[in-house]
Amino acid sequence: MKEKFSFKPGYRGRTVFRILNGIFMVLVVISMLIPLIKILADSFDRTTTYGINLWPKNPSIIAYKTIFSAEALYRPLLISFFTTITGTFLGLLFSTLGAYVLIQNDLVGRNFLAFFIFFTMIFSGGLVPTYLVVKNLGMTNTLWAVILPPSFNVYNMFLMKNFFEQIPESLFESADIDGASPMLVFIKIVLPLSLPALASIGLFFGVQYWNDFFNYVIYITNTDLYNFQVKLRELILSEQTLTDPSIVGFGNSVRNAAIIVAMIPPMIIYPFCQRFFITGITMGAVKE
Amino acid sequence: MIESIDLTSKRSYKSRKILNKIKKDKFYYLMFAPVFIMAVIFHYIPMFGIRYAFYKFTPFKKEFIGLENFENIFFGVNSQRFWNAVGNTIYLSLANLILGIIASVVFALLLNEIYNKKIRSAIQTIVYLPHFLSWVVTASIFAIILSPQGGFVNNILQLFGKEPINFLINEKWWRPIFLLIYRWKETGWGTIIYLAAMTSINPQLYEAAEIDGAGRWKQTIYITIPSLIPTILVVFILNLGKVLNIFESVFVLYNPMVYNVADVIETFTYRIGMQQADYGLGTAIGLFKSFIAMILVLITNKFSKRIKGSDIL
Repeated sequence: MKEKFSFKPGYRGRTVFRILNGIFMVLVVISMLIPLIKILADSFDRTTTYGINLWPKNPSIIAYKTIFSAEALYRPLLISFFTTITGTFLGLLFSTLGAYVLIQNDLVGRNFLAFFIFFTMIFSGGLVPTYLVVKNLGMTNTLWAVILPPSFNVYNMFLMKNFFEQIPESLFESADIDGASPMLVFIKIVLPLSLPALASIGLFFGVQYWNDFFNYVIYITNTDLYNFQVKLRELILSEQTLTDPSIVGFGNSVRNAAIIVAMIPPMIIYPFCQRFFITGITMGAVKE
Repeated sequence: MIESIDLTSKRSYKSRKILNKIKKDKFYYLMFAPVFIMAVIFHYIPMFGIRYAFYKFTPFKKEFIGLENFENIFFGVNSQRFWNAVGNTIYLSLANLILGIIASVVFALLLNEIYNKKIRSAIQTIVYLPHFLSWVVTASIFAIILSPQGGFVNNILQLFGKEPINFLINEKWWRPIFLLIYRWKETGWGTIIYLAAMTSINPQLYEAAEIDGAGRWKQTIYITIPSLIPTILVVFILNLGKVLNIFESVFVLYNPMVYNVADVIETFTYRIGMQQADYGLGTAIGLFKSFIAMILVLITNKFSKRIKGSDIL
């Protein structure tokens, strides 16, 4: 039976299904988008009363202006950018160095090192002991506590290692013959060939750091060091008690605008790296 | 021939060879050092802190009390809240996992029936957008949308003459809402792996079925779904090991009014160990959780190896 869109007998059931499926998809897309559209609309809206409108009743960009001009709001934003950039750099550094060493099959003790790293995924000291270590190192209430621990990510190192293993052996052999040191091979051969992996794993780290809230909850109480996510949460929870004169008074648009700002960076970058996710995920599940 | 002293006896020859290799490769060890140090500082040294599970450890006191902390959480003062948290953890994680697999598989199957590639791709992009939002952002969005004072949903309810419901504070509503929000956020992302698996199904199977007169529905039941079962099992098993770790999603959506239905092991640990600064008790709960989680991870990894091994066609 050929695929035909018609109501003739034989094709009828199929056609009905396709119509219903289409309606279903439209409903799904709408329900995915409505919350986002509502928040977006309200972020441009100066009215202080709510409604079910999906378009601002009183359009204005005052909320966004406030976010970029009130220090209470742009400081966390800058901190988010800072921790994301340094964290991603460190995360990539550790993943690539670790992965590069772990692919050296003839390195003495390589298997021990691999197990040493991998074991951390199976068992951990727990929330409180880890907190105590960070505290005793004097890192609580500093940005190091949110930058350093998350940069060690075994899963990402694994992905990187898988990628490195696909580099042809012959490249390494010819470098060996030319007497190149490990560092040189790493910088001149491995890294340039890994740009797709660096991009996608870099994105994983970037999203992780930008969205980080958990590490702040545990390690940081100094409000000057808040990143944008924590500040956003504060804005949402303290609805009734906002007292900062630089941000109060614009209705709820500031809260909504803060949500939009908090979600924009990951959402802009991810479409560029879409292809890599699919290969990245299926790499783990279906290894040739 | 004079027997000379054997300078190349196996044992000393091997160890000299190994030592020379280590010397030759010293740069690799140097390159690995930062990674090694990070693992030691943030993962292995905390393991020594586990001993505090057997102490009364607060900012004011540090004394050895043996198994008292465990007695406390298993049978004593905190036992009701502890076991409540264990129950919630298992319920929320499992329900979420099972619902998630069903939703993602069904959606992948339906999405696969959209023939227009551009539309299909557009739908996919929109549907896996929420995966990239942080839980803080997600919770913020729904705190506003579900708000009892003028939130979108309650406004619609009021249009129909109903009373506004405070969803996130209401014990009856919290769990369904939590699971729904989680689905809103993660269903799209979950479909990726099933769609990928579907593209690797042999098209000849479908052609043969077509010739035998099977319609699309029968093809789905007898070909597509059975082919997805290994993937489904792997996803299920791999996530089973992480069941006890649920934290951030609950933390941003819960509040004291719904602790009975929402409190999970990690949030309980957080309140005891960090907010109340009872480090000893917090470590004890954490140790229990890490131990069980380790067993789960090891068992489920063994199962996943078996399954992956059996579908090498």
